[in-house]
Amino acid sequence: MQYSSQAVAKPYFIAAIGLFIGQILFGLIIGTQYVIGDFLFPEIPFNVARMVHTNLLIVWLLFGFMGAAYYLVPEEAERELFSPKLAIAMFWIFLVAGALTIVGYLAVPYATLAAVTGNDLLPTMGREFLEQPTITKVGIVVVALAFLYNIGMTIITGRKTVINIVLLTGLTGLAVLFLFSFYNPINLVLDKMFWWWVVHLWVEGVWELIMGAILAFVLIRLTGVDREVIEKWLYVIIAMALITGIIGTGHHYYWIGTPEYWQWWGSIFSALEPIPFFMMTVFAFTMVNRRRKEHPNKAATLWALGTAVMAFLGAGVWGFLHTLAPVNFYTHGSQITAAHGHMAFYGAYVLVVITMISYAWPHLQHNAPAANGRAQLLEMWSFWLMTISIVFITLFLTGAGILQVYLQRVSDTPLPFMVVQDKIALFYWLRLYTGLIFFAGLCLYVYSFFAKGKESLASS
Amino acid sequence: MDTSRQHDSGALPGDFAIWIFIFAELLVFGVFFLAYAFSRANNVELFNESQLELNRLAGAVNTIVLLTSSYFVVRAVASIRANDTRHCGHWLLAAIAVGGVFLIIKMFEFGEKFSAGVSLSTNTFFMFYLSLTFFHFMHVILGMVILAAVLLKTRRGGYSADDHTGVETGASYWHMVDLVWLILFPLVYVIH
Amino acid sequence: MSTKPLIRPCTLIWLVLLALTGLTYFVGKSGVTGMAVVSFVLLTTLFKSQMVVDYFMGLKHVRPFWRGLLFGYLLLVCSMIGLAYYLSLA
Repeated sequence: MQYSSQAVAKPYFIAAIGLFIGQILFGLIIGTQYVIGDFLFPEIPFNVARMVHTNLLIVWLLFGFMGAAYYLVPEEAERELFSPKLAIAMFWIFLVAGALTIVGYLAVPYATLAAVTGNDLLPTMGREFLEQPTITKVGIVVVALAFLYNIGMTIITGRKTVINIVLLTGLTGLAVLFLFSFYNPINLVLDKMFWWWVVHLWVEGVWELIMGAILAFVLIRLTGVDREVIEKWLYVIIAMALITGIIGTGHHYYWIGTPEYWQWWGSIFSALEPIPFFMMTVFAFTMVNRRRKEHPNKAATLWALGTAVMAFLGAGVWGFLHTLAPVNFYTHGSQITAAHGHMAFYGAYVLVVITMISYAWPHLQHNAPAANGRAQLLEMWSFWLMTISIVFITLFLTGAGILQVYLQRVSDTPLPFMVVQDKIALFYWLRLYTGLIFFAGLCLYVYSFFAKGKESLASS
Repeated sequence: MDTSRQHDSGALPGDFAIWIFIFAELLVFGVFFLAYAFSRANNVELFNESQLELNRLAGAVNTIVLLTSSYFVVRAVASIRANDTRHCGHWLLAAIAVGGVFLIIKMFEFGEKFSAGVSLSTNTFFMFYLSLTFFHFMHVILGMVILAAVLLKTRRGGYSADDHTGVETGASYWHMVDLVWLILFPLVYVIH
Repeated sequence: MSTKPLIRPCTLIWLVLLALTGLTYFVGKSGVTGMAVVSFVLLTTLFKSQMVVDYFMGLKHVRPFWRGLLFGYLLLVCSMIGLAYYLSLA
């Protein structure tokens, strides 16, 4: 690596993968609880395991984004990170706070957690994905501000590239929008409206900027294509993401008590949200096809292309399937939603973080442009195992969802929720088995870090 | 970049990036137009009745206004291609001023409707009418801001016959704004 | 330099566009309805829009692909509007 301070990315990447493993373990737990209802009850009830699963996902992705930023910003800005010490300090604060929060979820009843953490002083607990105690949320803000300060100062005093600016914009947006998690209106309609300002404007807004910037960075280095070409694509992609995604927030406002015009605005704009993802796919493949060199990190190239394709399928296509108001009226909150959610998160954000780690780790750990052949092969196996597993998980949940929507809502004789859940249990079993394969793929990915090659490492 | 060569090379005028925006905007408006048209087919009585409350004359005058503003922009581009910076600036200023007239007429229309108690929630027709014209209104403002930026650079002597990509870029965007209205007016104000 | 035309081409186009706009307005004012009238209005719109594309945007001189793309867009939108109108008469 070019700058020694890029090394601060290492602990972030390690934590990210570690928490990813935790996320999947808890995913397997709740997948089991879907079909064996009292599995691990009462020690780890479903709602607690679910909180752990979703919170770990977000936290590990945040570790991944921060690690990615700490790695790519010094290189892009052509200077050392402003304060490596601050980065390491924030790492430990974030990790410990996160760990304590997870322990809190598991060790005590949620109401007790709320009481002992002083939730009544500023109530922010109790909302999906934002279950963290208020003090944890404050901790996240502090860590985010320090992180932005560190990255921001590095960029301001260094070279300002398009990639840097887009990344910084996305990360700043992430931090600012998180502040809405502190806003907890009494009015339920407003409560839900603003909740989406965190969730939607994150994953269908500023996170797309972060994803685009990381992908552009990796593609420049893997393909050697002109920076100008790649940066122009990046501008166009994020412009489309914002043009469609901001008013596209309306596709979450159909049924929460907001005026009816949201059904039109949300449908029209969100129908176009797949476009930036489609562009990212064309972008990634075009750059790789037009490459000027053969980079030895073939695995990273596979992860990069996989990111574009799976993001398009999961976020774009599966998102489109249930985004129009007349369709969503029937599918809202069903397994269709879960199907889309899993493939979208995996495709867009899990894969982009892994792409970055796959690209950066050989530089960080071995001062080499790529891992040895055997390690790369294991990575590629891991890619295919995880990706194909997710595709099947998505297909199974889509099947479950279609059946659920029909039996519970569309048919002339609608059946109750739990009756329908019983009927679609087969899909849940299949999903669980596939989840085990996904986990195997993840284990393989971790193992690839330790795989020794037969030939010597490629020299930088 | 030698824009006079670019003009003959078959490439789109101005910076290509603006054309991506133009296509994207045309797509979004296109979808919105079709949503209107098919929604109307399901609510013919309502749409016909509510449409009669629109100020068709204001809409027609605004069409003339935008066409004229676009014409002025065409004259501006022609001027800079002939290296006439001064007249280019004059035509751009005229285009922006006329664009301002559009905004005034439109605000007058909105004022009329709001004081009559019409809002996005009145009925589906008015939801479309207000949404479409409001979104378009915002794009007129953006177009005027772009033209103003181009005007400032023109005044400072930043463009010439050999190098005026910025003028063509701003002009292209403005014509798109005009194009959208050319469809919007007959669709929403006339077709009955 | 050869003699200049009496009127610039773009000025002529502009005047034609104004006239067609007036025509559309009067069709609306007259209150005449029906598939024929609406088709006429849509064809006029298509023609006007293509004039703007060709002469104002200047796409007459660029690669046929771009001109075709925009014409295709205009044709699609106008014909779909026509289709929707046709369905509304049923």
